[in-house]
Amino acid sequence: MKRSSIIMILAALVMVAVWSSCKKSEKDVQAPLPDAETITTVQLKAVNVADSTDTVNAKWVQLVPSNPQSVDTSHAYLRLKKNASYTVNVYFLDETKTPADDITTEVRERANYHLVCFTPASGLNLTVNATDHDTHTPALPVGLTNLATTTGASAGNLNVTLHHQPDLKTGDCSLGSADANVNFSVTIY
Amino acid sequence: MVRVWSAMVSAIVIFLLAATATAQPCKYLVHGVVTDDGHHPVPGVIVRLMPDSVGMATDTTGSFSFSNVCQGTHKISFEAVGYKKLEQATDVTADKYFSITLSTSDNELGDVVISGEKVHELRTVLTDELKGKALLQTRGATLGESLKELPGLNSVQTGPGLSKPVIHGLHSNRVLIINNGIRQEGQQWGSDHTPEIDPFTANKITVVKGAASVRYGADAVGGVILLDPDPLPTTPGIHGNVYAIGASNGRVGTTSGMLQGAFGKKLEGLSWRVQGTYKQAGNFETPHYYLFNTGLKENDFSGTLGYKKKGFNFSVFYSHYNTQTGIFSGAQSNSPADLAAKMARSTPDVPSYFSYTINRSYQQVSHGLLKATAGYTFKNNAKVDMTFGRQEDLREEYDAGLPFTTSAALLAKPQLSFTLVTHSLDLVYTSAVRSGFSGTAGITGNTSGNVFSGLRYLIPNYRDYNAGAFAIERYNRGKFNFEAGLRYDYRWLRVYQRNANTLQLYNTTYGYNNVTGTIGATYHYNAHLSFTGNVGTAWRAPSINEMYINGEHFSNASYEVGDSSLKSERSLNTSLSVNYTNSKLRITADMYYNKIGNYIYAKPALASVTIISGTYPLFLYTQTNANIKGLDASLQYDLTNHLTFQSKTTIVLGYNESAHDYLVFMPANRYENGITYQGHKLGKLDEPYIGVENVTVSKQSRVPPNSDFAPPPAGYSLFNINGGFTMPLLKHLLTVSASVNNTTNVAYRDYLNRFRYYADDLGASYVLRLKYSF
Repeated sequence: MKRSSIIMILAALVMVAVWSSCKKSEKDVQAPLPDAETITTVQLKAVNVADSTDTVNAKWVQLVPSNPQSVDTSHAYLRLKKNASYTVNVYFLDETKTPADDITTEVRERANYHLVCFTPASGLNLTVNATDHDTHTPALPVGLTNLATTTGASAGNLNVTLHHQPDLKTGDCSLGSADANVNFSVTIY
Repeated sequence: MVRVWSAMVSAIVIFLLAATATAQPCKYLVHGVVTDDGHHPVPGVIVRLMPDSVGMATDTTGSFSFSNVCQGTHKISFEAVGYKKLEQATDVTADKYFSITLSTSDNELGDVVISGEKVHELRTVLTDELKGKALLQTRGATLGESLKELPGLNSVQTGPGLSKPVIHGLHSNRVLIINNGIRQEGQQWGSDHTPEIDPFTANKITVVKGAASVRYGADAVGGVILLDPDPLPTTPGIHGNVYAIGASNGRVGTTSGMLQGAFGKKLEGLSWRVQGTYKQAGNFETPHYYLFNTGLKENDFSGTLGYKKKGFNFSVFYSHYNTQTGIFSGAQSNSPADLAAKMARSTPDVPSYFSYTINRSYQQVSHGLLKATAGYTFKNNAKVDMTFGRQEDLREEYDAGLPFTTSAALLAKPQLSFTLVTHSLDLVYTSAVRSGFSGTAGITGNTSGNVFSGLRYLIPNYRDYNAGAFAIERYNRGKFNFEAGLRYDYRWLRVYQRNANTLQLYNTTYGYNNVTGTIGATYHYNAHLSFTGNVGTAWRAPSINEMYINGEHFSNASYEVGDSSLKSERSLNTSLSVNYTNSKLRITADMYYNKIGNYIYAKPALASVTIISGTYPLFLYTQTNANIKGLDASLQYDLTNHLTFQSKTTIVLGYNESAHDYLVFMPANRYENGITYQGHKLGKLDEPYIGVENVTVSKQSRVPPNSDFAPPPAGYSLFNINGGFTMPLLKHLLTVSASVNNTTNVAYRDYLNRFRYYADDLGASYVLRLKYSF
């Protein structure tokens, strides 16, 4: 029993030694990687086909990832004229960087994996059709450049989603999962 | 993969050739039963038949059997902790039956070295074992799937490749895994974070169903799973075994091999073992379609070196586990909107074909374990053991989409990466048996550091220190065995973070301490009937994800918020087990009532959160008082000498006492009924058997509202067929086992499979397992 208590004490000492000798790499928490980009902003730019001075901008912003308090929708509205056609460009930005990183380039580079979809709420007299295409055969829409057509005066939400659809893009918006899924408030007057 | 299949084919050819070869004189059955002075069966006695056998342990009825024993003179030995070792020579010329009585080794002097397999140290807590033929039948399956054989166990799945064991409704960080004597420390904060263990390293799996913190420390709230290898060989020579397993569903090929030996003469006492496993699977198949991107690759190896001399023993063990697992592409939904679109479909939105290719998203996990032990056995059979362990667990998760970046280096990086390094040191003293008393006491300590790197944040870095001290005492008197134990644990946790705006480093420190205990007794009414009762406690500190998650949980399509002020979870588990055995009938009924205070769960807040990737339902981590009660019953009845009926029932009822409602994600009732024909000889085949079983799982009707995205799926009923035999082949033993799972190819979904929102479960699979021992 005496012997075992000596062994016990020795073991306890070894334990302490082992503990204090470990590397403590957890103390250095990884800082955000400067080259990693997150989508903070979905921006729409609509230009009236008949009158290029009629240009409308709207953006939906969330500056801190996963943080609902950092959502800013104060500019997430569009005013469009009735019975008109607009060219609508979509931009995905990382505004935590100065100047802001344009993620749209990467979406376009991987156009065969991506699809931007527009879903107007019922009652909103708006149709949006993609005018750009990827390199599939036959080519499928991408949705970064679109033609929006309005009819009568109305108001409602326009849902914009960026889907990534690796190996499964067919043009169907219900496939894959969404990197961005936001609502813009639209008024047609 | 071609290699695996060609190995399988050649193994089958060898087997067919062997079937026509001349029989070797290795056809005898040596079996028997071991009892103590009081005529009670003694389980866990190591029986060795030398020179051929590596040894086996007696089962709960004290029985053992060796088939295909060769003609000639053998030595048979019996060893168990607390009993005198017995060794005798025996001439085998026909089948032989032994009735062995072991006497207790009070004050026994001399050369007895207990090298037997470890008997688990809480004997009045509900326990089940998977070994021998039952274990062979699960070879090639994941650990979680293998253990579903046992009553009271279920598995929680994330598609076909990822499966975790569930004990009495609890899993993940409420189930502790002891792999080869070391607490497995991996990332356990998700249902897709499966145990990083190659089941082929174990030759016996013991499941402790109930609160067992007293011996094993924190986290043993649901129970403990102990994986143990065979003891190292002691007689000189080289032996080993090779497994070749093929399964049609997923076209899974698994090969595993083991070589072991002991040295004689000058190097006497030195022994070794090396072992390795390779496994590959492609897309698994439901009755109507393939599950795209569900392939996996796994390669593992381990090695052991042991030395024993004059009461001293030393060993060093190293194992490395490495796997890459594809995540079913049809189950990728970032938000409830995606999930709803997928649930509305009758078949998944992904291609359906077979391929071994693993695409994004996938996880890459590796786990290294180094274990060193030193022990000394005193003259009176008391012993002291010291165990040092170092584990390094690396988990990398690659999302379906490439990260948004222009940097080539970042494009190749996983979105999430965690490295968890754990050091542990345990010191355990086991006393000799003295006038019926025996005991175990020890101190344990471990420390872990978790380092996160990656592109999207999930949980912070941390360092923890855990220390515990325990003592368990047992007393055997007449028909009674008593057991009581007490333990104290302290946990220190420091969490390291960086302020999101200022990037300033800061940390927060937490301390937890708990006293746990156990008390239990077994009463042997007679040689057939025994009762065991136990009251035990267990505890668990809140895990890092429960404290610090704050954001969208992609795999759950929810937005979860942790709470760093959560307290320790404590359970008080009462169990009663009735065991009846006679020559024809074996019945075990285990009943339990597990009361869990401060039970931590993600409570639906009935509110939603809108962020740029969508609108999510909000879940808040909170604590409640819960209880889980249930019944595990098993029955075997020998209808004739060859025909056995077996039945297992698992019922789990989980209840949230504060909310007066059920607990979510508890297993549904499960019933298994089967009939097995066990022959003795069929032509040149020994011990042939064939059985058919029905597995029926009810619809889970005990669910709380608003806590799930879809109602529980309908119940289902599957038929499985199992068969096998052994035969001598080139002077050694070939064991063949075959199964057909889900024979009728039923399309079903299981409530505990996280991918049930998206796809059916697996269709029929034909499995062939060959094991050659030499």
